[in-house]
Order: sequence, then C-alpha cells, then structure tokens
Amino acid sequence: MAKRTARRWVWAVVLALAVGTSEAQTVDGVAVDADAELVVAVPDDTNNMDPRIGMGSTRSNYIRQVFESLVDVDAQGKPVPGLALSWKPVNDLTWEFTLRRGVTFHNGEAFNADTVLFNLDRMFRKNLDKWGVKDVTAGTSFEKVYPAVTRWEKVGDYTVRIYSSEPVPNLWDVVGREPLVPREYAIKNGVEALNERPVGTGPWKMVAWKRNDSMRFERYEGYWGSPPLFKRLRFQVIPEAGGRLAALRAGQVGLVDAVPPLDAGVLGREPGIKVMSSAQKLYCRIYLNARPKDKFDSGGKDGLFTDPRVRLAFNLAVNKEGIVQKIFHGYAQANASPVATVSYGYAAQEPYAYDPKRARALLAEAGWKDAGPDGVLKRDGETLTLQLLFPAKHYGQGFDETTPAVAEMLKAVGVQVVIKPVDYGTLIQTVTKGTLPYNGGFTACRTSNNLDADDYLRDWTAITLINWAPYPADLVELYRATRREVDPQKRLKLMADLQRRVRDWAPVVSLYQEAKIFAASTRVLRFAPLMDLHMDFRGVALRK
Amino acid sequence: MPSFLLRRLIHGVFVVWGVVTAVFFLVRLTGDPSAFLVDQSATREEIAHTRHLLGLDRPLYQQYAAFLLAAPRGDFGTSIRDKRPAMGLVLEHLWPATVELALAAALLSTVLAVPLGIISATHKDRAADHVSRIASLLLQSMPGFWLGLLLILLFAVELRGFLPAFGSGTWRHLVLPAVALAAAPLAQNARLVRAGMLEVLQQDYVRTARAKGVPERGILYRHAFKNAAIPFITVSGLSLGFMLSGAIIIETVFAWPGLGRLIVQAVPGRDFPVIQAGVFVFALIFVALNLVVDLLYAAVDPRVRLG
Repeated sequence: MAKRTARRWVWAVVLALAVGTSEAQTVDGVAVDADAELVVAVPDDTNNMDPRIGMGSTRSNYIRQVFESLVDVDAQGKPVPGLALSWKPVNDLTWEFTLRRGVTFHNGEAFNADTVLFNLDRMFRKNLDKWGVKDVTAGTSFEKVYPAVTRWEKVGDYTVRIYSSEPVPNLWDVVGREPLVPREYAIKNGVEALNERPVGTGPWKMVAWKRNDSMRFERYEGYWGSPPLFKRLRFQVIPEAGGRLAALRAGQVGLVDAVPPLDAGVLGREPGIKVMSSAQKLYCRIYLNARPKDKFDSGGKDGLFTDPRVRLAFNLAVNKEGIVQKIFHGYAQANASPVATVSYGYAAQEPYAYDPKRARALLAEAGWKDAGPDGVLKRDGETLTLQLLFPAKHYGQGFDETTPAVAEMLKAVGVQVVIKPVDYGTLIQTVTKGTLPYNGGFTACRTSNNLDADDYLRDWTAITLINWAPYPADLVELYRATRREVDPQKRLKLMADLQRRVRDWAPVVSLYQEAKIFAASTRVLRFAPLMDLHMDFRGVALRK
Repeated sequence: MPSFLLRRLIHGVFVVWGVVTAVFFLVRLTGDPSAFLVDQSATREEIAHTRHLLGLDRPLYQQYAAFLLAAPRGDFGTSIRDKRPAMGLVLEHLWPATVELALAAALLSTVLAVPLGIISATHKDRAADHVSRIASLLLQSMPGFWLGLLLILLFAVELRGFLPAFGSGTWRHLVLPAVALAAAPLAQNARLVRAGMLEVLQQDYVRTARAKGVPERGILYRHAFKNAAIPFITVSGLSLGFMLSGAIIIETVFAWPGLGRLIVQAVPGRDFPVIQAGVFVFALIFVALNLVVDLLYAAVDPRVRLG
C-alpha cells in the first residue's frame, strides 16, 4: 500500500514537472509547442547540399539550415558575427578572422582554425592532394574570380589570416559568406558525403531527404546560438503555387514560400493567415548587346546598343512604377542602381523617370529618328530593332507578364521589339556561345549569395554570361579603385560614385527588384523574412 | 510460344537500343549543360573547364562508345543536376511513387470502366446510358490539373484535411492523385467497352446463346465481354505505360515525387544522364507492356495464335 502511494507521488511529481515545463514554454506570452513540427511549402527541391557545388536561391535555403558561414546576416541584411566573432584587415594585404569557440558540428567534430583552412583549400582548389580529396565541380571558381588571394594560415586555434597579392576589401564577404563543412568528416567519408549526409554547425540537422519531395530536419541541441523553439522542420516541395496555398488553407503546412503577388492581398484578409514580405536580391533586367564585335559571334558587327544614350533611352521608356503596381501589386521595387537595395554598399540613385518624350529625344541624339509609317525609328536605312530572348516559365508569372509589357512600352518610342520566347537552357546556350544577335537582348534576373555590392558591380568587368555591355576604360578604372581601397568609408564612397556613373551609363534596362512573399499560419510566431536568399528559423516558435 | 517470346525479346532489345541511341544524339543537339553548373559571372574559360570535367569536350563517337559500353550494366553516369547515379535516381522515383500511383489509377480506370461500359451498352439510350456517357464526356474533357485542384479544394480545404492536399506515403495521400489521374482513362475505357459491347451484342452467337437459354450474366461476361475486350486491353496497356512513364501534371499538382517530374526537370537542365536513364526505363516498360498485351490477346481470344 505504502509502495503504491509512493509510486503515485512520484508520478504526480513527474506530471507536475511536465506541466510546469510546458507552461514555461511561452513566447510573447503565448504557450508554444517545443516538440512541434513546422512544415514549410517550398516550390522546388535543392539539387545539392554540398555548398561547393552551387548556392542558387533555392539551394541556399536548404543549405543554410545545416551549414553556417563565418559571417551571418540579420533581418535587415546586415553582416553580423556567425562562426567568426570578428574580422578585420591587419594591413592592406591581410585579413584576420577570429573564430567562435565551443562550436561543434552535428557529428561532434569541433569547429576551429583547421576547419577554416580546409574550407579555404576547397574554395580556392589548393592543397587538395594533401587531404586526399578529389573535389566536386564547383559553382564558383574562387581561384579564378579572386586570383589575388594567395595563401591562408592559422595563427592560433581560433584565428586565421588570409593573405592576398593585392588588396581585396570585400574578402570578409567573399570568404565569409561561404558555408563551412567539417574537415575530418569530409576527409573520412569523402566530399560526396557532404552532399548525401550533410553535417554542419547550423541550427538544424538533416535527418531525411526524399528527392523532389521533402527534406526533414531536427533541431541541433548542441547549437551554439539562439535555437529554434520547435523541434522538427520539414521543407515540403509543392511546385504549384495553388497547391501550396491550398495546403496552407487546409492546415497541412504552416508556412508558404514564394506566394504569387496576386494571391498575397487575398490571403492577407483570410482569418488565421498572415502575409509577410521583404525586399530580396533578385534583380530583373533587360540585357542589351553592347559588346564590341570581337567579344561575341558577331559576323563583323558591333552590338547595336553600344551607345549609352540608346540604353538610357530604353530605361526612360519603361514605366517601372507601372510594372511594380500593376503586375507585382506593390511587391517589387524599381531600382536605378546596378546594386540590389539590400546589399552592403548600395547607394540609392536618381530613378529613371518614365519619360517617353525624353527617350525619343535621346534616341534622336543617337541618330535614330527617321520614323517610317510603321513608327519604327531608323538610322542610315537600318531599323531600330531589338530581338528580345525571353526565358518564359523560369522566373515566375510576374516576370512572364513584364516582358511583353516592356516590349509594348519600347514600341511606343519607336523600337521594333521581336520577342523570342525560349526555354532557359536555350538562353544559357546562346549567351554562353556568344551567339546573341548583334541587335539582340534578353530578359533575365540575377541574384547574389554575397552581401557586398561588389558582387553586382563586377558584372561588367570580365566577359561573362551576363556581361553584354563591358565597362569602358574609365569605369574599369573606377571599379578597380573600389577593389583596391581597404578603408571602408572611402570604399563606400567610391562604390557610390561607381553606382552613379553606371546608372547614367546604363548597361542594362533595369526593370524591377522583386520582394519575397510568405504566407504563414498565425500559429507561427516570430518568423521574419530575411533579405537574404534563405529563411531563418532561429527564435521562431509554434503556438500550442 | 517460346519462339514467339524469344523473337519479341530480340525485337525488344533492338527497340530499346534504337530509342536510347536516338535520345543520346537528340539531347546533345540541344546544347551542353556546362553553363548550368557555374554561376552567372562565369567566364568562357570556366565553362570550358566544366565541359572538360564532364567529358563533353570529347568527340561524340567517343562519348557514344562509352555510353554503349556502360549502359547495359545500368550505368548511365552521374546526374549533372543531383550528382548521384542517374539510374538510381530514376529507379528511386519509379518505385514506389510512380508505380503506386500508376497502378492505383490503372486499377480504378479499368475496374470501374468495365461495369460502367457494360451497363451503358445494355441500357442503350436509357437513363443509365445517358448518365454514363455524359460523365465520360465530362471526365475526358476536364484537364487533369483542373480536376486535381478541384479535388484538393473540396477534400483538403473545404473538408478541412479529410484527404491530404499533397505528398505521398499512405493510402490517404494516394486517393486524390489516383482519382485525378484515372479520370480520363476511365472515361475512355468505359466508352471503348460500351462501343465494343454494343457491336458484339448484335452478333449471331449472342442471339444463339440467348435462344439456348444461357443466363444474361453469362452471355455478357463469358461470351460478349471477352470478344469486346481486345481494343480495351490494347488501350489499357498503353495507358498504364503512359502512367508509369510519369504523369507530370498530376505529379506537379499533388507534389507527388514521381518519375514524370524528375524527367521534366532534367530536360530544361540538360541533365543528359537522367534523361537517358529515364528514356531507357520508359522503353523497357513499353516493350514489356506490349508483350503482356500480346499475350493477353491470346488468352482472351483463342483465334489469336502466337508463334
């Protein structure tokens, strides 16, 4: 009898503790479920988890749940300490990173200077034989983009120095934003394991990956920072926007990524659902062929749009605010700077006013004035024609609606626009081979995995897939000056100057910078969209 | 019979070889995938380096010879997009997701089509026939994605999760996509059975059977349906083949992780190994199903001789 009573007491105490614990779990005065699962509906699966293979916007979202980088980013898009506590230039040619102590990977491996050295070896493809690693085909060849970075060394278990042959003022960003993988794990299991069974230091451990279907994560209890306040996370692939929203309305998912702007307004009025948005780096433009004849498969002709007055005229002919309001319902913004508004070093520029009259005047200055009965401008018998390649069904519905609208606006100032819908692969083939017609152009969007404006300003230096209007000598020189200047304030000023000059020189027709829209059940607490490419669930809780 | 099987198997080998060879060269006409693997700021040199790593800078005949040597072992190379063995990826999507969905839809569309078609034929121009024909017409003309979304709205949203809106893994997940996928073939099969039965029921041997007092059920199922079934078997076999090759629209609407979506993603991404492995599997499925259909002909119609 006494034994039974004692057992009852033990159970009562356990129960009281359990109730007490669950009652203690509150966020903003609301009881939360620490063991819950948040299902997030996303439009696509990642191709890879090893960050070296590539870090596009979809992939980044998956990879950054598991892996972390030296430099983290806050909700305002500002760099904050991640796996590095601080970073500073020691001199013009040396950067020093002080690493966070007490961080472990999901398999228990310690994070330290050796980890960073191994990752630098992978990024710059050096010393790989030393580790016995046959590495993957990488998305970004750091050794080619940043050849000035020459070597790196550890100056303590938690301090790493990186040396360069010339100043690299954005090295904190270049190296700092690359997610870091565990050294011992990669050497022991091969780099393929990083892709199949990724092990990082991030707040989430990947526990299952069903390709094209879902990825499941569990909270990493040994996480060094502020952890998520729920236990399990699932990214569920639902390609159709209608399907994602139906799943939210049915209560099967808690959060929806990539809500179409048209649906956002309606969803926001529904009980139990909240809509959130933030600016993002996806920046959509028309790229015009302004390459000199020796830089593409030209047939002996320079690109038709080498005159900056023509490109500027195109910018003035496009009603960007109209696009933002009518097509994106306000979930986008016009931007006259070549740099995304959320990047470090962005400097706001005077908007390209919608001014068809001025556009015509600029075209006339450039020699395009003899409009025939069809209204198309001519110069020396040649019509002003733009053969516009348009990768339909790749960037979303808003993009698909924007291209024909822009074509009509350009026609209104006397440009004959021939739209050629192509699949994205065909567009990539065309720009890779350099077979864009001399009077060609294409609509496309670019984004960035980095925080620094350099990633955008570099676009018109070397000939690349998206560089169809290489900088003239003076802009090249100014760009180089931004790459040489280590003093942050002076560099910001130089970058602002470059943005102003690029704005006037107009290498592209800037269309819009998209906003990312999320819809969530009101059960999801404290979720705030980042201006970066991924979602951050640290500190997020689920209402009980 | 054994000689028939042997002959068909040899034919099958040639068909599969022809298909994969055609696909090998056709996908390469669309360009190469190197540019997909680098970021937008990649230079031509970087892209050329990636081409080299993928072996795409080798002469085409060398690539084809390597492909022919490896393919019979099931080695179609590594997916350019997913960095995993292409055949493994294809099989992973085929089984269980695609097979489950295809079999469930095929079962629905055949099991329901037979009684519907027979009832329609035996009640020609009466209410049951009109209802069946109108329903068939509706199901055949409804786009799959639209029907799918309607089913989701009704069963997942309005009925608050009575059936799941997406995903796979349990029978509850299977119901809506299987119904949406089965709708059009069900209607088509019902109409085929009806047409076949109407023709057969006019035949002299049916009248004779009735005159001899054979029960109506026996006449319908033992005598008439067996003879009306040949076109139905052909079409059902082909339908199953198409379903097993992936139902891209339905898979997309219901986020079903099947083969159709894998292949459709592989095409714009120029993921040659996955496309080739996928088409190889499709070819095998169609060859096998055609063989089964031929064997079934002989089983249901003794006049058909295999040899």
